[in-house]
Amino acid sequence: MPGVLCVVTGGEIREETNPIPPTYDPTAVGLKTAEWYALCVDRARYVGEAVAAVVAEDKFTAYAALDLIGVDYEELPVVADPEEAMKPGAPLVEPGWGDNIMFSRDIVLGDPDAAFAEADGTVSGFVRSARITGTAIEPRGCVAAYDPYTGMLTFWDSTQNPHPLRNYLAETLGVPETSIRVIQPNVGGGFGLKIPTFQEEPLVAYLARKLGRPVKWIEERSENFVTGGHARDTRFYYEAAYKNDGTVTGIRLNVIADVGAPSALCGWGMSFVTWYCLPCVYKIPNSETHLRSVVTNKCPWNAYRGYGKDAASFLMDRIMDHIARETGLDRAEVRFKNFIQPDEFPYPQVSGAMLDSGNYPEALRTVLSMIDYEGFPKLQEEARREGRYLGLGIGQELIPEGCSMPGSLLLNGCDGTAVRVSPTGQVTVLTGVTSPGSGNETGIAQIVADALGCTLDKVRVVQGDTEMCPWGFGNYSARSIIIGGSAAHLAAVEVREKMLRVAANMLEAAPEDLEAVEGRIFVRGTPDRAVSFEEVAAEVYRNPHGPNMEGIEPALEAERYFKIGNVYHQPEKQGRFSAYPSWPNGVAACIVEVDPETGKVEILRYCMVHDAGMIVNPLLAEANLHGGIAQGIGAALYEQIAYDDFAQPLTATFMDYTIPTAVEVPSLELGHQETPTPFTPLGTKGVGESGVGAPLGALCSAIENALPHLDLRLTELPLTPSRVWSAIQQAREKAVVG
Amino acid sequence: MISQEFAFFAPKTVADAVSLLGEHAEDGKALAGGMSLVPAMNLGVARPTTIVSLNHIPELDYVEEEPSSVRIGAMVRHARVERDPVIGRYFPLLRTAASVIGDVQVRNRGTIGGSIAHADPAADYLPVMVALNATFRVVGSDGERTIPARDFFRGVMETALAPGELLVEIELPKLPDGAGSAYLRLARLEGSFPIANAAAVIAGPQPVIAVGGATAAPVLVDVPVELDSGTQDALDQVEAAAREACAAAFADLSATAEYRRAMAGVYARRAVEAARAART
Repeated sequence: MPGVLCVVTGGEIREETNPIPPTYDPTAVGLKTAEWYALCVDRARYVGEAVAAVVAEDKFTAYAALDLIGVDYEELPVVADPEEAMKPGAPLVEPGWGDNIMFSRDIVLGDPDAAFAEADGTVSGFVRSARITGTAIEPRGCVAAYDPYTGMLTFWDSTQNPHPLRNYLAETLGVPETSIRVIQPNVGGGFGLKIPTFQEEPLVAYLARKLGRPVKWIEERSENFVTGGHARDTRFYYEAAYKNDGTVTGIRLNVIADVGAPSALCGWGMSFVTWYCLPCVYKIPNSETHLRSVVTNKCPWNAYRGYGKDAASFLMDRIMDHIARETGLDRAEVRFKNFIQPDEFPYPQVSGAMLDSGNYPEALRTVLSMIDYEGFPKLQEEARREGRYLGLGIGQELIPEGCSMPGSLLLNGCDGTAVRVSPTGQVTVLTGVTSPGSGNETGIAQIVADALGCTLDKVRVVQGDTEMCPWGFGNYSARSIIIGGSAAHLAAVEVREKMLRVAANMLEAAPEDLEAVEGRIFVRGTPDRAVSFEEVAAEVYRNPHGPNMEGIEPALEAERYFKIGNVYHQPEKQGRFSAYPSWPNGVAACIVEVDPETGKVEILRYCMVHDAGMIVNPLLAEANLHGGIAQGIGAALYEQIAYDDFAQPLTATFMDYTIPTAVEVPSLELGHQETPTPFTPLGTKGVGESGVGAPLGALCSAIENALPHLDLRLTELPLTPSRVWSAIQQAREKAVVG
Repeated sequence: MISQEFAFFAPKTVADAVSLLGEHAEDGKALAGGMSLVPAMNLGVARPTTIVSLNHIPELDYVEEEPSSVRIGAMVRHARVERDPVIGRYFPLLRTAASVIGDVQVRNRGTIGGSIAHADPAADYLPVMVALNATFRVVGSDGERTIPARDFFRGVMETALAPGELLVEIELPKLPDGAGSAYLRLARLEGSFPIANAAAVIAGPQPVIAVGGATAAPVLVDVPVELDSGTQDALDQVEAAAREACAAAFADLSATAEYRRAMAGVYARRAVEAARAART
């Protein structure tokens, strides 16, 4: 076909490239893996997995050529349901595995059997979060250009992690990583979904090297829905034992995650993190928690904001509400009764998690006061008289950040930043962390300006280029400020110390008597004895042999790496380790109006108090929260990736995948609480995923509360009008029968 | 991404358009605003090899008031339907329906004729056309004919249009002074296709009610009562009749069939209540 440059299939890819390496060292966590090449070889494991690639002169020709490719599939048995997949004799997604369980965890703490035997009461139930995806405004895309004279491959990618991607590309192509330069231009949203390595990335790199010309690939939205990675599809079976005063004495939790087909993407780890966070902000002395991460013939999981933490918080909210219902206690009271207290940190959670700090009771008190919890019954009663049904709900979230996994070149707990002050006093910051569009470069500039004592306009932050920036893990797990920002702080402090020594010589004062504020360095107490930031920079570069530079190394450049504390990778005897150093948290309270005739829900008010430690930029932090809350509302009420019983995808456009708009998301009321973590120099905890977890429990709770005359049980997200209406019908039938 | 080649024509008259559509009756497709056809082509669901654009035919873009009716050209965009003073005066429910279609961009491009001819079961206009007893003028190579809206919609994207025939005009009988009307929809999101929708007109003793979204084509609800009394009993009968009319409701990702049927009832009743309240 004219205009077609080449067609490749899995056979060639297997010959010419290596499989994509797994995200973490599988032996460190006991994970089953499958060989995953840049194109599928022999077996396609889900609808959407690429079997061939066409390179053409233009996009039209490439797609027209794709239409001409016919694939003869031999149909294999389908694995569509994770619980069916767990049964003995079920067809296998990976024939060599022996079963469909990719990963499992089982931990017992205390004596759950005794706790259940001695309880005043027990509850049990089931909840399920839906399969969803992040919908960045820009889908995936990359451009690769190979220079045969230098042997360098330049790779522009809408990615969150340029340095790790470079290593993954190098390993897949079998070349040294120094022969690849990855450049991350401005990214139109990541939400975790652009953490490498997708099949398309090494594929495009391979094709550019093969053809010796630049190759571009830009994803279509309908492709993104079936191949871009999914999240959340998790079923929970729970039992809880409690005392009459609301104290939870024991839990038994079974977590079953449908992680889709095996891949080298990091998404399956979300199921681990769901299990890892349990039982979140609560102290429960006896517990038994089981996790089964099950593979099916669906699109693999990929990281999505919340990374499984959301699902754990949702489950615990449902359990707390269930106990409140059974005991007749207030929902907030049950939570207060079971919180880890502020003086109990660091708090070891059953999974091996080491919670750093927090003040959960204070946050809940604040949000209850924001929403006028005391006054709500009166408001509810007044509305009821007008024929309107209002409900109030509470949702807790615990969103640990700074993920550090053993043996991982993709997710780890350190990063580098270089701070350079030029001869004219301009500041360049080169950092290994990146921005997916969230604005962390502004926060890093603020940290550097503060530490140097210069004005913010002097500081330029450079991110996302492996030839310019220090090695870094990039952006995920809200780490850009807590890890990259901490490295920036350390480097800037080092430069400032040198500048103060030079300034001290210039002012004939002692360095410890100097202050640097907003571009001026002056003697404390005598602000007239001052030099400017620019004068000191000029002195360093122009007079390295002068008296003011006596015994001082030339230039104003420092590069520092920050390794965050509170991470323990040496597994103890039950295999537990600490992967998250920092534990931001929050609590939401919302008021909804429910139309009992249609099941339609309108959010009237949404308040949230979040605690992400020290906040560097309140405007950006709030903007992050707005996005997180909107995505949480989407997961609670609107969004679902659907498959039929034969694992055929049914959701390929925004017509079916309904994300909330400005009309559905109410004006958000935010309260800040700052409990600094002791593990970063500035007490920052990370705010990038905050807000996304609490809406799930809060909205379920509010909808149930709006119809107190019915024993409404909401178990499955998203709470579409159809589902809420069905739950109302069931509750009415039960009431009639009862 | 549209991956196949197609011939594109942009005729300037209805006669030329009809002649082109006649020549390409097998594989040709008329392009109005393109708000359904182009996404379908992007997804590879529609693969016409000939496109006849109607966007350069001035004679299809008009709103004309007659003594007892209003005639609307098929290429009138939703944004104009939403704002036209004549339409607003005689058919406020049509104005409401136009104002909730998609988003601003869709309303600026999409056309009333395109939406009706496409006949998506959930389209906002459909029950309105049925309730208002609209007549559609269509032109084909054999000449012109009119089809009542109540005979036009046959199924999911199926109409009484013969291959090569073009919908050119919608004619709506004016509602009498003092009539009340309403259009209501239940959708998961602002701008998304409705799960169920209903149009009600109260011009005489008998209300006229049509519901859409729940079944393959909009249905006229058979109401055996006079509703002037506005009694709860009468409203209950409307709800039951609409549910009955939607016995064949369908299920999809947004809603179960049972839910759609129930919502057809709820929205029929609410539309009647709103139409009663709108009487002057």
